Amino acid sequence: MLMCAVVASAASPEALETVARACSPRIERHGDRAVMFDASGLARAIGAPRRIAEEVARLASAHGLEARIALAGTATAAWLLAHARPGLTIVEPGEEARELGELPIGVLKTLSGSRNTAQAAWGQGLEEVLAILARWGLKTLGDFARLPRADVRARLGALGAVCHQAACGETLVPLVPAKIAPRFVERLELEYAIDGLEPLSFVLARLCEPLAASLERADRGAVEVALRLRLVTRAMHERTLHLPAPMRDARVLRTLLMLDLESHPPPAAIDWVEVEVGVVPGAIGQGSLLTRALPSSETIATLLARLRALVGESRVDAPGLVDTYDDRSVTMTEFRIGSASRGPGATGTAREPLGPSLEPLGTPFGVGVRRFRLPIAARVALAHGAPVRVDPAARGLAGGRVLACAGPWRSSGRWWALDRTDWDRDEWDVELADGGLYRLTKNRATSRWVIEGLID
Amino acid sequence: MKSAAISQLESVLREKKLDGTLLGAWPDAAASRVSTGLEPLDAMLAGGWRRGEVSEIVGARSTGRTSLLVRTLAAATARREIVGLVDPVDRFDPRSAADAGLDLTRVLWVRGPALVVELSRPAAIERAVHQAVRAFDLIVRAGGFAIVALDLADVPARHLRALPWTTWLRLAHDNEGRDSVGLLVGETTMGKSPRGTSVHLDATREWTGGSPQSRRLSGLTIHARAGINGHAIVSVAC
Repeated sequence: MLMCAVVASAASPEALETVARACSPRIERHGDRAVMFDASGLARAIGAPRRIAEEVARLASAHGLEARIALAGTATAAWLLAHARPGLTIVEPGEEARELGELPIGVLKTLSGSRNTAQAAWGQGLEEVLAILARWGLKTLGDFARLPRADVRARLGALGAVCHQAACGETLVPLVPAKIAPRFVERLELEYAIDGLEPLSFVLARLCEPLAASLERADRGAVEVALRLRLVTRAMHERTLHLPAPMRDARVLRTLLMLDLESHPPPAAIDWVEVEVGVVPGAIGQGSLLTRALPSSETIATLLARLRALVGESRVDAPGLVDTYDDRSVTMTEFRIGSASRGPGATGTAREPLGPSLEPLGTPFGVGVRRFRLPIAARVALAHGAPVRVDPAARGLAGGRVLACAGPWRSSGRWWALDRTDWDRDEWDVELADGGLYRLTKNRATSRWVIEGLID
Repeated sequence: MKSAAISQLESVLREKKLDGTLLGAWPDAAASRVSTGLEPLDAMLAGGWRRGEVSEIVGARSTGRTSLLVRTLAAATARREIVGLVDPVDRFDPRSAADAGLDLTRVLWVRGPALVVELSRPAAIERAVHQAVRAFDLIVRAGGFAIVALDLADVPARHLRALPWTTWLRLAHDNEGRDSVGLLVGETTMGKSPRGTSVHLDATREWTGGSPQSRRLSGLTIHARAGINGHAIVSVAC
């Protein structure tokens, strides 16, 4: 057995894992700065342990790592030596105890950063054991290793015995190899370049079906789909879809990709296609027996994609409120069944509603307003400060004499902003002779009148 | 006792799926109705809007069409159902709707272009209407929405008349047998399904206070009329 510990001077977990994976399939991650791997088989491919250590150092350097590397017969010895000594350290099998014997006893503290000994209680107990060993006058691991283990256990307990094992360079726990995170990717190189979306849909079906099967086997759901198309011009056309909910239905994935491509078609013929999905663990949804079934997340995702292809990306979602006194402000929030509130107004964005129960006859509730996003300019005649006649600039609104009016309600805001989003205006509710009930506003800075909405 | 000829005619209509006009073609249980959110109107409509049908809210400006629509949507979201609202010319006001009790997180809002209908070119309005009808169709076909509303209240009647008459038949057919209520909102009748309901609205405005400074609009009293002859009338204060 030959174990190799690599300790980086800075946190770089991805680079460390890449280096370790390049050397061995049996690797064990220890936080962001250290990795351990089994280098047993490398002797046949590379040669002596020193050559192996140099090769690992070269790989680490190529990935921008400044690392300490130690090779030893046990993981514990490799770990302690990599933390205690800079550069490369190579220990011949059977020599672990002798090499460790020169190290200061304080190096045992590094064991608390190891995966095997990272329990919360370990760190605190280790401090106490080291303090006792210091009071006994022990300076090095060799001094400690020479004590009889049974006596150490009798005085320091199980933790003391484990520390004694470590000081002797013995394996504390076996290496547990980390699994490689599977990539869900399918690609196809086409014999003939294809032009147009219809033939591409068949290709995507061929790619999405095995992907969906892989997701099913691994109990994963796709939350992101990346489509890469290599064009005959050698350019890459890439699209990434963020799905509103985890899904693994091949037809839905293909439909979503096709709908996106309809909005963003590739500029040239395609000769290579790749689909990769980002995944999350599968989840079992439980519907309620007491409420009507809601559409599945796949159905909603497909519907949203179709609607966005029809009316535009930003024109489909749930309405949202902006935290302002400006009644004209409106925003869109993501429409997700899972995020829908458990009752009216539960999102905190809406004002407190009147409640779900039916109002008895005669009780008023919020009157509907139809908001003109582009207000209609109007000429307004005043008498005693109140509107008496309104003539809109639009043909479709007749305007006319004011039958009744209420106001003004003055509001202003963002006067501190420099981006010209401030407002200062008077609002009126007016009933006109054309039968309409309008929301009329006057900009106090410009004295211009506009019709902002219809009360309906 | 039905004659043999009538029974045969009914069976032929059922085979061709044209039995929507037959009385008693489907069970008329209260469970197949969706509340309008207004008790008197629910009573008038025998429980509310009928699921699987396309119904209409019809009225002139400021007769309470939007208030009734929002009230219907709010009642559905209060039952934790989801609703779709297709808004061809972008006139929905979320703030007043939230004030009326609508849970906005349960609303799928499809916004058309922000047009000034009164000033826009006819082609732009027609394109927006076509998109809206298509969006309504997509939501209905997706299923699972308690209410799917198509708000055509600000679209001039001439643009609606320009639609092929089969449009309304198709929408009614798509919603047939589903759990959703299709709801059209407009100034004139458009195309309810055979067993759907047209609710015609009129309203009186309620003002309080004597002077312009103290006066305020306290609400609308909606007069709803429904039924084949329009005899059933109910008044609801909003």
